[in-house]
Amino acid sequence: MSIEQLELNPRIIKAVNNANIGVARDILKFSGPDLQRLTRLSASDVHHLQTAVAALFCKKPPVSALQLYRGECPEWDCGLRVSMGCPVLDGVLRGGLLPWGLTELAGPSGAGKSQLAMQLCLSVQYPAQYGGLGSGALYICTEDSFPIRRLKQLQNEQPSLRSDVPPDVVSGICFSDNIYVEHAADLGALMACVSQRAPVLLAQGRVRLLVVDSVAALFRSEFQADQGLERSRHLTAFATALHKLSASYRLPILCVNQVTDVMDGDSNHDAGLRPVDSKVVPALGMAWANQVMVRLMVTRLPGAVSMGTQSSARRRLEVVFAPHLARDSCLFGVWREGTRGLPSPPTQDASS
Amino acid sequence: MKPVSASPLSPSVKVKLLNAGFLTSEELLQLKPLQLSKEGGLSLEEALEVQQILREGVDLPGEGGAGLGSTALELLQQEERSIVTFCSSLDAALGGGVPVGKTTELCGTPGMGKTQLCLQLCIDVQIPECFGGLGGEAVFVDTEGSLVVQRVADMAQAAVQHCCLQDQDAEQRDALKDFTTESLLGHLYLMRCHDYVELLAQVQLLPDFLVKNPKVRLLVIDSLAFPFRRHFEDLSVRTRLLSGLAQQLIRMACQHRVAVVWTNQMTSQLRGGQWELVPALGESWGHSATQRLLLHWSGGRRLASVFKSPSQSESSVAYSVTREGFRDAGPLASSPSGREQDSSRQSESKQDSSSQSGSKRPRTQEGQ
Repeated sequence: MSIEQLELNPRIIKAVNNANIGVARDILKFSGPDLQRLTRLSASDVHHLQTAVAALFCKKPPVSALQLYRGECPEWDCGLRVSMGCPVLDGVLRGGLLPWGLTELAGPSGAGKSQLAMQLCLSVQYPAQYGGLGSGALYICTEDSFPIRRLKQLQNEQPSLRSDVPPDVVSGICFSDNIYVEHAADLGALMACVSQRAPVLLAQGRVRLLVVDSVAALFRSEFQADQGLERSRHLTAFATALHKLSASYRLPILCVNQVTDVMDGDSNHDAGLRPVDSKVVPALGMAWANQVMVRLMVTRLPGAVSMGTQSSARRRLEVVFAPHLARDSCLFGVWREGTRGLPSPPTQDASS
Repeated sequence: MKPVSASPLSPSVKVKLLNAGFLTSEELLQLKPLQLSKEGGLSLEEALEVQQILREGVDLPGEGGAGLGSTALELLQQEERSIVTFCSSLDAALGGGVPVGKTTELCGTPGMGKTQLCLQLCIDVQIPECFGGLGGEAVFVDTEGSLVVQRVADMAQAAVQHCCLQDQDAEQRDALKDFTTESLLGHLYLMRCHDYVELLAQVQLLPDFLVKNPKVRLLVIDSLAFPFRRHFEDLSVRTRLLSGLAQQLIRMACQHRVAVVWTNQMTSQLRGGQWELVPALGESWGHSATQRLLLHWSGGRRLASVFKSPSQSESSVAYSVTREGFRDAGPLASSPSGREQDSSRQSESKQDSSSQSGSKRPRTQEGQ
C-alpha cells in the first residue's frame, strides 16, 4: 500500500517520501513527534497523515453488538455452528463448533479424538440448516496414516447417525470427495501445507473446516527438552499461520492435541488449563494454550456402556475453557455409526 | 459557522474564495478538494491546504485542555466515577469498581474469565444513573475473536432482570423502559483487529470516534497481548510500539474521561530453577496500567488479586463466572480430599506473604 494513494496534500506526501519511511503501514509504527522529526512537517500535518494511514487499515466502520445479534454482519458472526453430529454433544457446545478460530481437542490416546474429528469432517458437509457449512474439510495427519477404512464405515452409516436429516439429502452428498487428506511428516511440511496448500483449497471454496491431527506430535519430537525457546518460536509461528487462515477465510480449525502428566509442584500454574480433578494437562504448555480459543478435553473412563447390540468404552467430553460456554461435560461412546453422546445414565456392564 | 473573511487563511486565497462566492467555512469543507479548486479558482494544492487549516479547529483534540492548571483540591472534588463489576467483593477491593479516567489491566491464564469481566463491564457501564451506574456506552476492540454475541446477549438479559428486581421509585421505573437487552447491545460498539498494525490503526482513530460519541465511558481491548506476541525480529521495536500505544491509551483515558481496560496473557519464566507465571509483554509494559488485576486459581476457587494500585491495598477476592456473567463467588464447597485443602492452605499463605513482603509479586523481564 503506497503513500501516494492517500488523499493528502502533495506537500505531505513529498515530505514522507523524502524521509524514506517505506510503505504506508510503517507510518503507524512511529509516534507523532518521531514523524515530525523525520519528515519536518508540523504537528497538524502529521496528525492528518496518521489519520489517513489509519483509515486505510480500518476500512470497516465499528458495528454495534445489536447489529451482530440480528445477523446484519455475516462476515463477523453468521450465527452458525458446526454440529458434532449428535444432539447431546452439541448440547455441551451450545450448538456446535464455532465457525471461526482455533478449537482444541485434547486427550490421551484412545479417547476418541480422531473419531470426533472425522465425524466433524462429515457433518460440516451438510447444508447450514442441518448444522453444516455446506463445504468440505482438509485433514492434516502428522501421526499415523489417515484411517480411511473407518472413514468409509462412518460414511456408510451416516443415515443411521443423522436420522434428523432427510435421506435424500444424506445420499446426495458425496462425503469422501470433499475430504482432502494431507500427511505432514515434519514441521517444514506442516508449515508448507498450512501456508501454501491450504489457501489454494480455501480460495476455491472447497473446504470450510481444517483439522490438524495432531499438533503435539511434531513439536514434541523435533525439539529437545532444552530447546524450549526454539520450540516456542516455531509454535507461535505455526499458530500465527493458522490464525491468519482462520481470519482470511472464516475457517474453523480443530487442533487435536496430546496430553502430559501434571507434575505435583505446579498444580496451580496450569490449574485453569485442564479440568479441576484431571491428572493430565494438554501438551505444549502455556505458549499453545494462549493461542486457542476453545479447549475441549476427552478422557476414557472405566466401565463400558451398551446401546442395542453394541458396546463401547465410556468416555467423557469436557469443556475446559471457551468464551461462550460453561464448564460442562457429557458422557459419550464410540459406536459403529460414529460418536454419540449419552443423554441418560447409561446401562453399565460389570465395571472393571 | 465562521465566515470566510474571519478564517485564518492567507489573504490572496481569501480574496479568490470571496470572489467565487463562498461565505462560510462550512461551505468550503463540504466540497471535495478537486471541486473546491475548480469553483474557487485555486490550485489543487491550495484547496487541500485550505481544507486542512479549516479542519484543524475541529479535529485536533484540545492538547492543553482539560486537566492542566487545576489544583489537587479541584481534582479531589471532581466526582471520580467507577464502573461496578457485579461482584461486590471485587468492587470493594477496587474502591467502588473500575475507575473512569484510568487504565486497568487484567492478567490471567486462558479461561480465567478476563473476557467475561470485560463483557460484564461493557454491560455495567450502561446501567442508568438512578441505579448508581454511569448511563454510558462502551467500545470493545476484539483482537482474538473471543466475542460471541450470544454470550453478550445472555449477560445483558441477566443484567436487565437484576435491575428490574430492584426498581423502587418512579424515576427508576422510567429509566428501566430504555434499559432492555436490545438497548444494551445497541450501545456496545465492536471493532475487530486481526494483527498489531490494525490495532495501532484502530487506536489512532479512536479519539475521533470518542469525540463523535461523547457518551462512551469504557474502552476495552481484548486482548492487547495477543497481536503483539508474534515473532518480532527486533524486540526493541515491540517495546517502542507498546510504549507508544500505552501513551495513546492513557491520553484517551484522561482527555475523554473513559475507563480503559485491556487484557494481558501470562507467560512462563524460569527463575532460580523454578518456572513462574508472569504477565506477558515484558517488564516495561508493567508500568503502563494504573491498576493491575490478576485472575488466577487457588485451591479450586477463582481469585482476583489487585496487585498494582495507587490507591487500593493488595488483596485477593473470590469470584465466579456464571451463566448470568461475572458475579460473587458462591459459598465455598467442602473439598472432597484432604490434598486439595492442603494446597489451598499453602497458596493462601503464599499470598499473605506476597502481600506483606511484595517479593513474590509477579515480575517480568525484557524480551518476554
